[in-house]
Amino acid sequence: MQSIKLIKGEFNEHIEMPLAPGIKAGFPSPAEDYLHESLDFNRDLIKHPESTFYGRVDGDSMEDVGICDGDIAVIDRSVEPQNGDVVVGYVNGDFTIKFLDLTHKGEGYIELRPANKNYQPIRIDIDDNFEVWGVVVWTIKNWKK
Amino acid sequence: MGIKTGTPYFQLAQQFPDAKIAVFSSNYELYGELTGRVVSIIRQKAPAYFRYSIDECFVYWEGFDGVNLKEWGENLHKRIRKSVGMPVSIGLAPTKTLAKMASHFAKKYPGYRHCCLIDNEEKRKKALKLYPIDEVWGIGRRYAAKLQSLGVQTAYDFAEKSDSWVRATFNNIVIYRTWQELNGVDAVPNEEMAKKKSICTSRSFNGMVTGSDTLKTHVSNYAARCAEKLRQQGTVGTIVAVFLHTNAFREDLPQYWNFQEKRLTVGTNSTIDIVKAASEVLRSIYIKGYHYKKAGVIVMGIGPNSPMQLDLFDYNAEQFQKMKRLDAVIDRINKVNGTETIVLGSQQYTQKDGKGKADVFANAIKHDFRSKNPTTRWSDIIQLK
Repeated sequence: MQSIKLIKGEFNEHIEMPLAPGIKAGFPSPAEDYLHESLDFNRDLIKHPESTFYGRVDGDSMEDVGICDGDIAVIDRSVEPQNGDVVVGYVNGDFTIKFLDLTHKGEGYIELRPANKNYQPIRIDIDDNFEVWGVVVWTIKNWKK
Repeated sequence: MGIKTGTPYFQLAQQFPDAKIAVFSSNYELYGELTGRVVSIIRQKAPAYFRYSIDECFVYWEGFDGVNLKEWGENLHKRIRKSVGMPVSIGLAPTKTLAKMASHFAKKYPGYRHCCLIDNEEKRKKALKLYPIDEVWGIGRRYAAKLQSLGVQTAYDFAEKSDSWVRATFNNIVIYRTWQELNGVDAVPNEEMAKKKSICTSRSFNGMVTGSDTLKTHVSNYAARCAEKLRQQGTVGTIVAVFLHTNAFREDLPQYWNFQEKRLTVGTNSTIDIVKAASEVLRSIYIKGYHYKKAGVIVMGIGPNSPMQLDLFDYNAEQFQKMKRLDAVIDRINKVNGTETIVLGSQQYTQKDGKGKADVFANAIKHDFRSKNPTTRWSDIIQLK
């Protein structure tokens, strides 16, 4: 009878993989003591793969802080949004990228602030059942088209 | 709204003339990617788990001293909801059948806050009484009809029957185990779930297909996909089955369906072997003149990749090793350079894509109402205004 593979859960987020230098019979490589894992954006920039999504910036509402049309945003939904974070909100059927301004939370509303004087902040009343869709943790810009 | 599963699309406009209905074709690419994220979260929060299907997962707790399971489940739901944006229903109970039932209650009644726990006799009986027999996990339509004709309407009616009654009436191990499970005895072995497992790739066609060429290309692609899944799992299959059928809702057209299988002498997960077998079966069941709506390939008799049972007369070690290497190379290229970079000739469609190249599966099955794939394709990622 075929047995089933039960997969044991990992209780922590990451498993540290020790680097195996391998067993060699000849002269030991002098570089072995200096071995280090390669830099890896997927590993180092994306802390929570299961809650990370990507979006493409469409428009110039955040231009003044260098978030421009065509840039790619890396969005983590598991991060708790803080005042001043760049966030993605879902407003009137559209995703929008703005600064989160919680200054007026006590007065019953929050604001999504653009970084471009041609745009107005979006005011959202606390009663509107609004949820920040995710927090922007990185943006990626292509310079060499 | 009360739209039943399986309602044909063209009937919706008649049934709901004033309603605004958004229609989406099934998008397994997106669904599979998101449920993969869900499983990845479950893995971090549970001692052991088994993924049962694309959207069902069993978690095992052996003795849960000191764990508040209800709270654990509610937190797990919250975590998944926040991270992935997908609501899940969690059922916790002493047996798999009761857990499935509990998950159904968790989905139906908001009061459970997405997690329903059956951990005592009172709750078990209450749940059984509320549960129609034909919705019990493991009770197929035929057995449900038989049970109903014998006066069994709810899961409770069935659970209350005696051991000897169940044995005498059905003489069927699956039904007996279900009865045990409803009574709180953990009886469905994990092995059983794996043994039952078959790999199936099937699609409803966009429109209807009459020609054998297009049908053969579709079936080759389903077969290739099955082979790929076998290799991912590290398993081989020994039975390749193909089914096809016409559109049952088109009463104005002649109807036909068939299902045949071919047993292989040696278990295999090679694309070439499985495509060949599926094509053979298709030839034997295809009849010209019908308008086909759906076809699929099912691989059964699944076992571990090695040690393999070898057929002495049919086994060519050199050939076998070559095929294995070929599949490994194809898998790697398709993984690095994108799915369907390399396919068999029989997987290519005769029609051309926009660039004049032979069309591939992903385009040929493109659905009219497919939603975007924002997590698997750069071209589909969400737009931020």
